[in-house]
Amino acid sequence: MKTFHLASRLSLPLVALLLLAACGGSSTSTGAGLGSGALLVGVIAPFTGADAGLGPAYYAACLPAALEINNNGGVGGRQVSCQKFDTRGEPADAVPAANAMIAGNSNLMAVVGCTSDEASSVVPIIDSAHIPMYCMTGQSEFNKTPLKYFHRLVPADVYDAYAMVGSALYGPGHSPYHKAALVFGNDIGSQAFVGPATAAFTKLGGTIAINQPINLTPGTSYRTEVRAMLDSKPDVILTEALGAAGTYLKEVKSQNNGQMIPFLGTSATIDPVWFQQVRDAIGISDFLKYYGGVDLGYTFSGPAYTEFLTNLNASATQFADAPKYKQRGSTLHLYDGILMTALAMVATNSADPKVYNSKIIDIGNGTSGATVVNTYKDGVAALKAGKSIRFVGAGGENQFNQYNNSQSGYILVTYDKDGNEVKVGELTPQQTSTIINAGGA
Amino acid sequence: MNLFVAAFGFGLVSMSVIAIAAVGFTMQFGITNMINLAYGAVMISSAYVAYYMNKAGISIWIGMAAGAMFGAVFSFLLNRFVYAPFMRKGTANLGMVIVSLAVSLMIANLLLPIVGYYPVSYQEDTGGLIHLGPIALTRDQFIVIGVAILLMLAIHALLTYTRLGKAMRATATNPTLARNCGIPTNRVVDAVWLITGALCGLAGVVAALNAGTFVIDNGAAFLITILAAAVLGGAGQPYGAMIGAVIIGLMTELSAAAWSPQYKEVVAFGVLVLVMVLRPQGLLAKRGALAAAG
Repeated sequence: MKTFHLASRLSLPLVALLLLAACGGSSTSTGAGLGSGALLVGVIAPFTGADAGLGPAYYAACLPAALEINNNGGVGGRQVSCQKFDTRGEPADAVPAANAMIAGNSNLMAVVGCTSDEASSVVPIIDSAHIPMYCMTGQSEFNKTPLKYFHRLVPADVYDAYAMVGSALYGPGHSPYHKAALVFGNDIGSQAFVGPATAAFTKLGGTIAINQPINLTPGTSYRTEVRAMLDSKPDVILTEALGAAGTYLKEVKSQNNGQMIPFLGTSATIDPVWFQQVRDAIGISDFLKYYGGVDLGYTFSGPAYTEFLTNLNASATQFADAPKYKQRGSTLHLYDGILMTALAMVATNSADPKVYNSKIIDIGNGTSGATVVNTYKDGVAALKAGKSIRFVGAGGENQFNQYNNSQSGYILVTYDKDGNEVKVGELTPQQTSTIINAGGA
Repeated sequence: MNLFVAAFGFGLVSMSVIAIAAVGFTMQFGITNMINLAYGAVMISSAYVAYYMNKAGISIWIGMAAGAMFGAVFSFLLNRFVYAPFMRKGTANLGMVIVSLAVSLMIANLLLPIVGYYPVSYQEDTGGLIHLGPIALTRDQFIVIGVAILLMLAIHALLTYTRLGKAMRATATNPTLARNCGIPTNRVVDAVWLITGALCGLAGVVAALNAGTFVIDNGAAFLITILAAAVLGGAGQPYGAMIGAVIIGLMTELSAAAWSPQYKEVVAFGVLVLVMVLRPQGLLAKRGALAAAG
């Protein structure tokens, strides 16, 4: 009788526990086991609107990462897929997109994208949902962010701006430029470059001939803007990956009697869409003669990059333009971010982001005695052998700080006629230090 | 001062582009009573037709003619197979606006997989700069201005001196009465869709040429400016649309010279709001060629 009472008292909570376990994989949310069913990586970025060129670069990161994971056993057998969530580059559209992404997908393992256009509005939402994210935002507000699920694998825009100033002052193949025109979009992300570039350039002896925050509405002609810019007689244009770059630069050439003036772009100008539109607008010979860019020091070689390239090319069946992103820095980094997340899940044997999120930093930075791995397959094998690992991916080494920002140095680059990046120089540590001090970062 | 004069010259180009598009749009509305929000989508479709011809080595000026023909046929078919059936069923004006919006979205989304999201340019030598004092425009820009002037004169002649133009005006004023007077209003409406479609297609190519590079999103952006010019001049009034185009075109360029260029559209649309407050019916309402006597 007593036994019966005990059983009946235990039965109710036991049944409740069993029901909870049956509803939505609660066994994985406790940190024990990787669970079952498909996993999703959300690509939240502009796919339409003025910055529509950004989203495809991030989607092109997700597809090969999913292939790499799926071809090597998945995440504990779970297959990974990618889904686009279009922000249109506007916070007003980005917030509902982020909410829909989270509300509609309980199997989100990571989110990539979140550009400067929408990061301020969507990052807190994603962080509240405890989903690890890799954002391509350069905004300074994330330099010391307390948000634990935020990760940034590229330096803040302020460093991109400094690198451009370095290219203008110390770059190879030209004497130092002294009078710069700043041509950036009038959106939040673009304007992040202006202050640091102005501060560094002017303190190092240069002058800003004109600062033009330009309207990025498609179809806008920039005749009057270009006339005003040419009237200010700059010897160089500092600019970024404007959707309207082709229109603006074509107008420069047209109004300047067929002559271009040198133009230096941010690391985001290492992009096949940008290359194509500017090449078509001003012609390849002027493009190669007058363009200079900055980028993070990628090698585009080694086992991690080879694996990335194989998977990227294989992704063409899902996204025909994917192979064009073989040298897009953000594509490489986000690919690495997704693989690090998958490895963190395997390492913690958990599909609960609250458990595996903190492991991502360990996988990226490595801990003492960690085995360096370059592919997901090697990473999983090392983890199964009981080793701790450091993942060095297609984008190179990561060095996360306590704010989950990974820092790296810049190189000076240009393109070849086929749109491949070509390194032309690099800034010395002393030059870099001089610029950063002048900029006040 | 030179910058302002130069901006005035650029404004002439902008207003020419807007005028070609806005006159077609407003005639469509004035005669068929249809606010066709797919107008921008037809424009950009025509621009891409010219682009692919140009890419195949054909001169952009021939591409422009092809774009106009494409716009004419496309608009005619849109009316025949989409809009007209809805109208026959008595769909309200607001319903027709929504139908045209749906058509616009469908065109854009059907086009996207074909043309992609890459900005593209016509391969055309702009012909170098021609200086008229401080105004320096390319040969192509002078041609665009010339084309716009010729078209405006042609529209004026059509509406004023031809039987078709008079039939259009009669249909615009009172279609039932026009029909009772023996005017074949259905054929007039067909002619209107062909003519305004041609203007739409031509405007698409000219606007793309003017912008230097273009993407599919340009269609929606074009439409806003066209609507502004048409409403400013008085909806349904071709001459009003011409005046609206002059104001919007010049204001955008001159304000870019006077203030920060990022506010140039704000200024232009600020003028639109001001006019709408002072004269809600638009500048030329009830005075244009297509208006009812009044």
